[in-house]
Amino acid sequence: MTDLTSLSLLEQLEGLKNKKFSSEELTSVYLKKINIENKDLNCFISINESALKHAKESDKKIANGKGAVLEGIPIAHKDIFCIENQRTTCGSKMLDNFISPYSSTVYEKLSSSGAITLGKTNMDEFAMGSSNETSYFGSVKNPLSKDRVPGGSSGGSASAVSAGLCSFATGTDTGGSIRQPAAFCGITGIKPTYGRVSRWGMIAFASSLDQGGIFAKNALDASLALENISGFDSKDSTSINKKFPSLFMEALEKKIDHIVGIPKSIIKNIKDEKVKKNFEDSINILKKLGIKTKEIDLPYIEYSLPVYYVIAPAECSANLSRYDGVRFGYRCQNPVDLEDLYSRSRAEGFGDEVKKRILIGTYCLSAGYYDAYYIKAQKIRNLIKQSFSSAFKEVSSIVMPTCANVSFKLDSIQSPVEMYEQDIYTIPANLAGLPALSIPSGEIDNLPLGIQFLGNYLEEGNILNIANKFQEETDFHM
Amino acid sequence: MKISEKILENISTLSKIKIDDELKPKLIKDLESILIMVDQMNEINTDDIEAMSHPIDDAQNLRKDEANKNIDRDAYQECAPAIDDGFYLTPKVLEQND
Repeated sequence: MTDLTSLSLLEQLEGLKNKKFSSEELTSVYLKKINIENKDLNCFISINESALKHAKESDKKIANGKGAVLEGIPIAHKDIFCIENQRTTCGSKMLDNFISPYSSTVYEKLSSSGAITLGKTNMDEFAMGSSNETSYFGSVKNPLSKDRVPGGSSGGSASAVSAGLCSFATGTDTGGSIRQPAAFCGITGIKPTYGRVSRWGMIAFASSLDQGGIFAKNALDASLALENISGFDSKDSTSINKKFPSLFMEALEKKIDHIVGIPKSIIKNIKDEKVKKNFEDSINILKKLGIKTKEIDLPYIEYSLPVYYVIAPAECSANLSRYDGVRFGYRCQNPVDLEDLYSRSRAEGFGDEVKKRILIGTYCLSAGYYDAYYIKAQKIRNLIKQSFSSAFKEVSSIVMPTCANVSFKLDSIQSPVEMYEQDIYTIPANLAGLPALSIPSGEIDNLPLGIQFLGNYLEEGNILNIANKFQEETDFHM
Repeated sequence: MKISEKILENISTLSKIKIDDELKPKLIKDLESILIMVDQMNEINTDDIEAMSHPIDDAQNLRKDEANKNIDRDAYQECAPAIDDGFYLTPKVLEQND
């Protein structure tokens, strides 16, 4: 009997359509597997008790020929996406008991596409972290090496997809929080163009950088899943009001004239020889596929990290001011006055990393420092955006490693700056708002590495197409 | 950039986050290391560059300014730590002088 959890999304859809198995059977297999493996991996914060009931409803729809495009497919949501009347914690003590009064658009879209929610996945607190070690609910383990991190902040979703505990999963990416964990867990992860996916009901960290996306077994699965969460939403004024072509069809298209840019400065500075070798091997695979490559300049890109660590904390300090112990979330015991209520609720409700970022952001926005930090960072952000615009006049996409290293051991990085450097290759796409994806590109000492493709605005189809071609040629993916 | 205890107290007050004394030395060390990294920005002359606050240039898609019934006050207040008859409860802000 085939292990149903090893099938790709497309294979599962085929199996459901042809009545090889039911959604109830599929969902039941996943729930049993989660029950066993989550004790160790800790990738789920909560399990949806109604999953089997929804699966049975999906089976009826499929039997009546009324199934939606993802009907009966069991998935997981990062616990940053609000679901009405369900607990949504964002990995924080602050929201430990928060039952959302409304649902995110991403959840609504997948739900109306027929997907079954298995549960909500663990994450770094308020999406701030690169290892999933800042979660109030404990660290998540990497299923490929359980003494190592799955990456972050969407580590629970990456771990769950990699361990075969869901068909695909949602995530969010503010500075690499989909792509870095995808690389560490040997799966495919895509962050779309800023504005393609609605942020309504997705708990805010840094609003000009946050974007929802997908973890999947491969690029084709990711394209179909992403297609079903994309689109204009009147509830999010920054969502893009355009009709998008089918990403799935774009990913499948046979002939697209790709010219992939290789940024000279980035390649020159890869420190780890094995990472460098893996990257060169990946370029050779592209060439073998007949894809043209071209070396390009990307000036200012090396300043992405300092720019990000002003802009993201500044926006986070504003966004997280809503947690005041009054309207929702954690409230301290016996406050003596209003000031005490605010300052103790926030001190006790937030973890150390979140507090650190709020303090840095507050400092950068405070009188006397605003121009030197915040405005300065916004100006360099503009230079980085212009740098990409110039590059995309010469090439149709850009390739670089996803990370400078493979997954590291739990509790092994203590310095904040060393942890922040994890996202050195992923942050530029967020600053410019560009789509980017990571796919597996091989292994170092049995640990997966990822390669990243960045596309021009709204050209997700282009990078998904390259990723699909790459995966047709290689067997690094699931 | 040096972060003095006075600066830390100021941003703690502005952030409304109480910081225990024993946590201050480590926090100061971490914040300083982040600011040293951030100070690399000063290597670039940005005199004539426009600040960019948002990655997309399109005008925001604002909905019509019409009242809708998306927000159910009672449902939203169920998440609150303390309410009474539609009001959020906090410690007393104004003292009554008799």
